Amino acid sequence: MTSIDGATRDIAAEVREAILAVYRDTARPPRDTPGSALLGGDLGLDSLDLAQIIVLLERSLGVDPFRDARGSAPHPPIRTVDHIVALYAATLAARS
Amino acid sequence: MPSSVFPPRSAQAQAPDVAAPARLAAAIESVAAADPDRVAIVTAAGLGPDRRRAVSYGTLASDVAVMERRLAEAHPIGVIARSGEIAALVAIVAACGRQRVPLALVAEDSRDLVGELRDWSVCGDDLAVPSPPAQGRSRREYDSSSPQVVVATSGTSGPPKLVEHSWDSLLAAARLAEQWHGRGWILVYDGTRWAGTQVWLQAILTGGRLIVPASRDPDCVARAAADEDVSILPATPTLLRRVIASADSDAVGRMRLDRITLGGEAADGQLLEQARALFPTARVTHVYATTELGEVFRVSDGLPGFPAEWLGRALPGGAKLSTRRDGELLVQLSRDTAEVATGDLVERRGERYEFSGRRSDTIFVGGAKVFPRRVEDVLRAVPGVVDARAYGLPSAITGEIVAAQIVAVDPLPEGVTPENLRAAALAACRSALEAHSVPRVLDFTRKLFTNPSGKVPRRPVGR
Repeated sequence: MTSIDGATRDIAAEVREAILAVYRDTARPPRDTPGSALLGGDLGLDSLDLAQIIVLLERSLGVDPFRDARGSAPHPPIRTVDHIVALYAATLAARS
Repeated sequence: MPSSVFPPRSAQAQAPDVAAPARLAAAIESVAAADPDRVAIVTAAGLGPDRRRAVSYGTLASDVAVMERRLAEAHPIGVIARSGEIAALVAIVAACGRQRVPLALVAEDSRDLVGELRDWSVCGDDLAVPSPPAQGRSRREYDSSSPQVVVATSGTSGPPKLVEHSWDSLLAAARLAEQWHGRGWILVYDGTRWAGTQVWLQAILTGGRLIVPASRDPDCVARAAADEDVSILPATPTLLRRVIASADSDAVGRMRLDRITLGGEAADGQLLEQARALFPTARVTHVYATTELGEVFRVSDGLPGFPAEWLGRALPGGAKLSTRRDGELLVQLSRDTAEVATGDLVERRGERYEFSGRRSDTIFVGGAKVFPRRVEDVLRAVPGVVDARAYGLPSAITGEIVAAQIVAVDPLPEGVTPENLRAAALAACRSALEAHSVPRVLDFTRKLFTNPSGKVPRRPVGR
């Protein structure tokens, strides 16, 4: 059985993979993606990029926190890589 | 096949002195009288000589007579013709027409609509005519002026619905010059749908051979067309694209087409050019028709869309075209009828209006419109891409994002990998489209899903 920390590490890897896929698909040079990196300011990601990341993560992790959480409490703002990881970890934990 | 073999009596059957409802039965009878063994219909074509089944005009005329006798005995309120054997369908339609029995053509996937016609008798391949339900009404005399023909729409613009036509409108397009008589026609549409009825009616009313391939697989269609000497190919652009790109090249090389009639979807310039190059002697026509309106216009100049000067003028059939401010095409069939919003969007490009897609297919990305057809056109122009479909995926961030599927040539050219083909496709989109129109999801698929009308749906499938 995967520990919570292990699961979070897996999610973080999937999030970084999705961000790199966005850079690749849009022909932009890849950047480092530390957890504290700001999606807009540091990584240069816009709303379309974030929309793509969400579709890619739905494919790899099997959830879309935005759609699955429809009607429930609003999620906290998503400004950094860590925010994305935390949101997916919480959604997956709520599911299991 | 030269037109001179077509018996003159059949041409008379098409003449206006035979009332429209009786014209089909009269045409079958006159060919059968002159040449009873002439092949009317070949089914299971494309799988070799052992599998094909041929029905002659003589047999078809006998079936029409049987059906007419049974209709006279049962006096149904109306007849629902179910798809199945195309020969049975032709006999049912011909007999109902001449006997002036109201008729409904209902495809398999439109069965839910039959409830609207609950007192009507359902007729299938055995040509049996069940009596009207005991609690239902029965009818002794039919309306002598204009019996109705009810056809289910294909559901391109919403759930399928029943649309009423007159026999005159059903047969309006089936008046062909004599050079097109006695030819081989291939039927790749469902025979109960509007597009399908137009194909088999034209074939049978002109004493031709209707060739029904065993499947819509491109190899099977190409072999059926080549083996059965088909000269007229009515198809959706999607099917023609598949035949050109992936059908058995020997069979495609043996096809001798004189006429290609595209309909159901807009044809792009690239496909029209490919068709001209592969079938140089064929006249390529694009028909604009809907189940509700029937045929509105046809374009045969080899260019996509239609001439800009057609807008606001009465066309040869009497229809008048205009557009809404957002580019939706409006059609007024005649002065006495109201304008109909078609749901098709057109864009002016130079001296043409070209179709940019269905209004319902438009993708909205962060409030900006994306026409999937434009994306597909760009993807299809990438070397190594055979076909493409673009659609909107729901997104909590931007409303929708553009997703696309591409079909690659098989096998891929040497040195080309799926990864670099995908990168080339995205690069082509980036250089030709605005940023929000570039697909954010791009997947490979072996074959695009098509609906029963042979069209590629642009809404997500299976979500």
